[in-house]
Amino acid sequence: MPHATRPSTNESAFVLSALRENLRLDSRAIDQYRPISLKFSSDPDVYGQTDVRMGKTRVICNVSCEVITPYSDRKFDGVFNINCELSPLIGAGVEIGRPDQAELLLSRLLEKSIRRSNALDTESLCIIAGQKCFHVRADLHVLDHDGSILDACCLALVAALQHFRRPDYEVHGEQVTVFDVREREPVKLTLQHQPFCVTTSYYDAGTIMVQDATLLEEQCREGEIVVSMNRHGEVCQIAKYGGVPVDALSVLSVVKQSWEKVKMMDSVVREALSKDERERDKGGRMKAELSAENERVMERPVG
Amino acid sequence: MAAAMVLLPGENIPTDKLPKPKKGKLTLGPGLQHTPPSTISATTAGSLQVDHRKAALWLEHAGGRYQPSVGDLVIAQIHHSSVETFSCALTPHTSFAILGQLAFEGVSKKTRPQLKAGDVVYARVSKASKWEDVEIECFNSATGKAEGMGQLKGGMVFDVRPAFARRLMMGTDKEGVSKGGVVVLEEVGGKVKFEVAVGRNGKVWVDSGSVRETVMIGHLLRGADEGGWDVEGQRKAVKKALRDV
Repeated sequence: MPHATRPSTNESAFVLSALRENLRLDSRAIDQYRPISLKFSSDPDVYGQTDVRMGKTRVICNVSCEVITPYSDRKFDGVFNINCELSPLIGAGVEIGRPDQAELLLSRLLEKSIRRSNALDTESLCIIAGQKCFHVRADLHVLDHDGSILDACCLALVAALQHFRRPDYEVHGEQVTVFDVREREPVKLTLQHQPFCVTTSYYDAGTIMVQDATLLEEQCREGEIVVSMNRHGEVCQIAKYGGVPVDALSVLSVVKQSWEKVKMMDSVVREALSKDERERDKGGRMKAELSAENERVMERPVG
Repeated sequence: MAAAMVLLPGENIPTDKLPKPKKGKLTLGPGLQHTPPSTISATTAGSLQVDHRKAALWLEHAGGRYQPSVGDLVIAQIHHSSVETFSCALTPHTSFAILGQLAFEGVSKKTRPQLKAGDVVYARVSKASKWEDVEIECFNSATGKAEGMGQLKGGMVFDVRPAFARRLMMGTDKEGVSKGGVVVLEEVGGKVKFEVAVGRNGKVWVDSGSVRETVMIGHLLRGADEGGWDVEGQRKAVKKALRDV
């Protein structure tokens, strides 16, 4: 019968005593992230699929879009949905269709960080006001859980949104032609900023603050503070759902530490995106084809 | 066994691989199934191992799932206690194993062991079958002595693969060479004092005096297990780790 495993008394006591001596089980620094691996789909026609690994934690994200009628109360906006699921591959009694509290919190934090902060400009998704718009949908699946799934999900989602291209379209009066990917080059989405989430787990009433906790460290913690911000230092949200009380100065220092981590995550995403663009554009052929210069042909004048 | 043959589930063993038994009896180990009259087929994926002296065959497979069998030493975590028994977890997401409250050395109905949920014990599997709950005990029921089993206090429990735990428990042959090819614990034991208990269900309990040394031993175990280091690689890693501590 599936039952979530709690760590034994020996393990939780050991993790705590190691943290008090500033040691982590995988020999990382207290605020150090595990190496992040970000991969896009290798298919040249597919945009917006990412596979993120942070240690053993693995998350995949797929962004897709279709043309629909916008909501009647929001005529000038497109629709953007985020759907996040914990896969039963994780174990621990996870079932699809029956979200437990962890899954609900994960969805809620992603909504607050990305949708409510207007990272994706929904007005740019509108085609004809009140009649046609794009519905962009992001599906996240957590395949393996070794801590920090929110951080990995947010990174996968932001990278996928930056990578994704929607079909190009033309409007003539009331007529809309949406072009296929083979007819016209698809267009990138308009992102106003790129928010990332940093989860800080704390122990000993806030005296020990740990970033990127593994599953064992998460099970032994007293509480967590989630900070979402972008690389400019603009905070989207700060969440602390229950847990042992922490004083305000500690929260401020956590926000400052998170800013450093967000800058690191942002550079990881940028590097991966530029590397992927170079690989898709081998030999510079895309640039040559998209160039507007014509070849000069010498022709004899008629007459 | 120069080049071990790899078998997939359902494949039959060719008759030329079978050893010639002296008394006419062939012993089949884990992973093999006999279909009378004379077909032996594999039930899991693994490499075929043959012992001609004992006329035995078995499959070695590096699977991630531990299946309890009688006589195995395991590290169990107590989940809850009921009237006469403790319910322990040997592996996550499987049914609990039953540990009788009187299956310890030196206890009686008046003096029961003081174990709570989350405590860790070293036990031996006494009953294991597909249709019943697994039963474990913390003493040798024949002699009544603990023989090293019982509650493990302090220290840290590390997760390893069950096949690696088996290699750790293989011991050494006549020349003192480790049969399983794992020397990390012996090498570290030369310089650092620690206690260790290996559970066949993929758990290793380590207790050294200091936190730093226990973390180092756990790191070496994980490297030898997941990194697949050979004996030379293990010695080098141990030397490097001892220098840093």
